[in-house]
Amino acid sequence: MKPDIRRTWPLHLMLLPALAGLIVFNYVPLGGIVMAFMDYKPWLGFDGSPWIGFGHFRALFEREDSLQVIWNTLVISVFKIIFNLLVPFGFAILLNEVRIRLLTRTIQTMVYLPHFLSWVILGGILVNFLSTDGGFVNRVLGAIGIGPIPFLMHGDWFRFTVIVSDVWKEFGYGTIVFLAALANIDPSLYEAAEVDGAGRWKQTLHITIPSLLPMAIVVGTLSLGNILNAGFDQIFNLYNGMVMNKGDIIDTFVYRTAILEGNFGFATAVGLFKSVVSMVLIVCAYRLAYKYANYRVF
Amino acid sequence: MRRGMRKWWSAALVLALAAMLVSACGGSKNGGSSDGGGTQSPATSSSSGSNSGSEAGSSDGSRPTDSPYRDKYDPPVTITTVWGIDPALTFKNGETIENNVATRWALETLGIRIETLWSVTDTNNAFVTKMRLMMASGQQMPDVVTVGDEQLAHDLIDSGLFREVGTLFDAYANEKWKQAMALDPHVWDPYIRNGQRMGIPVLDYAYNHDYLLWIRQDWMDKLGLEAPKTLDDLEKVMEAFKYNNPDGLSPDQVIPLSIGFKNTFNTWMGDPSWVFGAFGTIPEQWNLTSEGTLEWGSIHPGAKQALETLKRWRDKGYIPAEAALWDENKTAEPAVAGVAGIIPGPYWMSGWPLQDTAKNVPHAVWKPYPIPAGPDGKAGRHGTRFTNGVTLISKDAKHPEALFTYQNYLFEHLADPEPGSQWDIGVFKGYDYDLDENGNPVYGDDIPGGAVNINRYWLVRDGARIPDAQMKALLRLADGKEPETRLEKELKNNYGPETPLAAKVLLSQPDISYIDMFSGPPTPTMKERLDYLKKIELQTFSEIIYGQRSIDEFDRFVENWKSSGGDQMTKEVNEWFEQTKVK
Amino acid sequence: MYHKTLSWRVFNVFNIAFLSVLAVICVIPLVHVLAVSLSAKSAADANLVGLWPVDFSLEAYKATINNKYFLGSLWISVMRTALGTALILLVTVLAAYPLSKEPREFRGRSVYAWLFVFTLIFNGGLVPFYILILKLGLMNKFAVLIIPAMVNVWLIVLMMNFFRGVPRALEEAAFIDGASHWDVLFRIYLPLSLPALATLGLFAGVWHWNSWFDGLLYLSRKEDYPLATYLQTVIVSRDMSSMNFTIEEMQLLSQKTINAAQIFIGALPVLIVYPFLQRYFIKGLVLGSVKE
Repeated sequence: MKPDIRRTWPLHLMLLPALAGLIVFNYVPLGGIVMAFMDYKPWLGFDGSPWIGFGHFRALFEREDSLQVIWNTLVISVFKIIFNLLVPFGFAILLNEVRIRLLTRTIQTMVYLPHFLSWVILGGILVNFLSTDGGFVNRVLGAIGIGPIPFLMHGDWFRFTVIVSDVWKEFGYGTIVFLAALANIDPSLYEAAEVDGAGRWKQTLHITIPSLLPMAIVVGTLSLGNILNAGFDQIFNLYNGMVMNKGDIIDTFVYRTAILEGNFGFATAVGLFKSVVSMVLIVCAYRLAYKYANYRVF
Repeated sequence: MRRGMRKWWSAALVLALAAMLVSACGGSKNGGSSDGGGTQSPATSSSSGSNSGSEAGSSDGSRPTDSPYRDKYDPPVTITTVWGIDPALTFKNGETIENNVATRWALETLGIRIETLWSVTDTNNAFVTKMRLMMASGQQMPDVVTVGDEQLAHDLIDSGLFREVGTLFDAYANEKWKQAMALDPHVWDPYIRNGQRMGIPVLDYAYNHDYLLWIRQDWMDKLGLEAPKTLDDLEKVMEAFKYNNPDGLSPDQVIPLSIGFKNTFNTWMGDPSWVFGAFGTIPEQWNLTSEGTLEWGSIHPGAKQALETLKRWRDKGYIPAEAALWDENKTAEPAVAGVAGIIPGPYWMSGWPLQDTAKNVPHAVWKPYPIPAGPDGKAGRHGTRFTNGVTLISKDAKHPEALFTYQNYLFEHLADPEPGSQWDIGVFKGYDYDLDENGNPVYGDDIPGGAVNINRYWLVRDGARIPDAQMKALLRLADGKEPETRLEKELKNNYGPETPLAAKVLLSQPDISYIDMFSGPPTPTMKERLDYLKKIELQTFSEIIYGQRSIDEFDRFVENWKSSGGDQMTKEVNEWFEQTKVK
Repeated sequence: MYHKTLSWRVFNVFNIAFLSVLAVICVIPLVHVLAVSLSAKSAADANLVGLWPVDFSLEAYKATINNKYFLGSLWISVMRTALGTALILLVTVLAAYPLSKEPREFRGRSVYAWLFVFTLIFNGGLVPFYILILKLGLMNKFAVLIIPAMVNVWLIVLMMNFFRGVPRALEEAAFIDGASHWDVLFRIYLPLSLPALATLGLFAGVWHWNSWFDGLLYLSRKEDYPLATYLQTVIVSRDMSSMNFTIEEMQLLSQKTINAAQIFIGALPVLIVYPFLQRYFIKGLVLGSVKE
């Protein structure tokens, strides 16, 4: 099988629709990135707005709280990325062990429901649920002699709450990918293992987990693109004066200082900064996966 | 062979897909530009050359006869506009914002054709976003646009796409409108550039968001309490509500005073700023000092005392344990549930949301009371400006004077006409009123097909409002007068039962409202520093109230605020202020 | 066999109990929202509703559905989701197949791959995109809802990785028989990838069904709105800290019950479709049937 053009031209052709869409809807508008270096005024446009070099980037880093905000973002998003990978992974495996099909399906449907609630709604529910003043969680904790815990009014607890509630909201949806990957495993592998006398635990360890790993690597690598997105909607709906210090993230900061003001230039600059960081991380992850797992993510 | 066929078939499919993409995109070249009524509308030119007609003598005799102004245009002229439609706005009879009873009225009565370039349901800031994108993509601006968002208004003015309007206003606005505008000469301030008035302020009713205290009258009666005149009185009332609750609620169930400060200490419902007012300042706005300069209210020494007071109230359980998490709507919850004793809010709160309290606790009665005074006898609340937006006129508008034809009519007939005017019982039959078989007017749900809020169909938001008219009408109603004028009837029909009384209470303290005195475009330091300063302020104030910082941290906050750009910002704000005074 | 052992039984009991508790925790908020949507406004505004409706009322649903735009927007959403998802799946499958080849089989593959991944991370933002849509003449057209969304790199990467799980031996045998790439893709890869297709279809469908901002921005007439956009305009996402509103609006707008009903109306179709897609996730079904 030589990779000559006669054999591969259908492959190029197959890529054509996606590529055309990509060029028109992604690469053409990419020119807008120049805004990051402009004091962009809508009425002056790209031709007329003055260039300001790295002014927006300077503004991003010059505030007293810049580093704190970036740090908050990183802490929250790193934990979210880790747990939003591990929890669905583990959940899929555990669910796979349930032999009662109806139960499997019911549980699966139930855990995927929270994905469909917006943070505006969930924010209100969480405030009630986690209240130190008669909220359900604190009443339960109080019954066993703990608390009350200020889940939303103390910086460290706030981060904890934000991470846990996000994982809770999304893990069911994230599980779907792994369930599909599980369905792709060749059942004859298990049959063979059983013949060899391997127990359930061994089958999981030597067949299920290795089969899911590629998908985990892919999902994990792609989620690095969110390394500086800690979840705008969620935090915007939950943060308050008591947790500003540890809860303010890049996106809420940009919203207050740029989006509301119509400052497209600054918003673009921050977006570019986030993209560059993500790109570096994704390239690193790609290299590592290729080097150590011999797996090509893209 | 067969396989070859399939291969070609598949390839053709892919090509078709790509072609579809190209064609979908290419359809544009000739005229598909759909936002487009605007870019290529030929209609605007309808009548520019035909103004030499005989009807030049308009209502205002002093106007020169060669003026383009008409009371009615014949042939009709066109005004283009764009709309941010309120999500709550409803239409009937298959009408739309583009074509409805009000646009037909304008064409028939005034000879003005309202042409819509685009409209967007204004949710999630869609109108502001779309206006900005319209600018960015170089689309033709509408002849007339009314904007509520201050930042967008400043941007549009600075874009140079809109014309000076002050001279037009002086030339064409009628007396009623001019008088209404003159009630507060500061309304023009935000829109003045180099001495020129670049936008017409949209007048709104005064005091709309000045608040007072709503107190559970039934609780006070049962406890034999007098209305609180001072903060000390108030504390006694709150203590009695909590520990001696007439409804038998246990102390931990009662929220004596429902306030919140999730995002700000200066808002409109469940607002804590009057506690600061009792010590001579209102936080998070620019107040006028006794020296005649402007000062950021949060760094005033009175703020420290207010924070001490709030901290004490929180420690005693008078305010919600999680007030720092509560926004405006949340503070209304315990009030409606019947477990809150006091909630600060606007005079119209008996219509919403408090009228629902009786559904949960039938014997609950809310009554409005004045803002209590502090130890030195001071009282204060934040005040509301008389405007809620600005109307801009495009440089390219062919008939800028037609806007005045339109608005003059509304100020004459809609704003606050004498009894016996043409719109006395309602404006459009079948829309905001109807007549029953006996010829008596009916309103609301009694109208076949239901009522619609036609005041949002006008070219300018809310049509025409005279700032003091509503309060005057409410005071007349409060004195027991039967509604006669259009406005009085509207108030009677649409507002809550306690609203006239609340208006009277509100106006019993006419001098305690602190209006934010800065209304100019953001200063350079403000753009860079204000968000950070507000952030440390919110954090410091919240933490002081919750005892996580000592009260003395307030002094450090003030130092920090001043050195982190606050002083510079104050300087710039006062420069702006000086300049408005010169005028 | 292993599932007869005591340790497995103990594990099984704990596992089922644990997963069930987790599932219940996930459902509680939704039950609460459902209860709010079926309660009277006064009770909802007072935060008195727990997991059961207070003063049962269907007003919120009536208010949302008894609107001349509702049925139309529902139809547009169905069309959008059906056509949009089909288009995404087609483009995704076509792109994922070549990309799933090894570089030695398909020269230039890596260049393509990075071209795709790059756009996953970098984007030009709203302004240039809006200008593009305007220039392309897509403004106010139904196509604006599906054409720009047809390439979803995230899904392509996912599909590509599923394709890699297809045993190589099958395709090599087919090539030896003289099959073309088209045959291999449509006759070997696709039938083996039903779980993947179901997954991707679900993701793409949910995305299309829930998207509302594009409708708001690129469509001017309310008649053209898809359901998600229409629902956004029935309520309420109003910045409560601004002071530009009046009592009339507050009476209409501040309806938690409508807000809650809206979530249900919006999510219901997705919830109904999901169990039908689920059968494709069931282990072994697909491979087992193809293997014979």
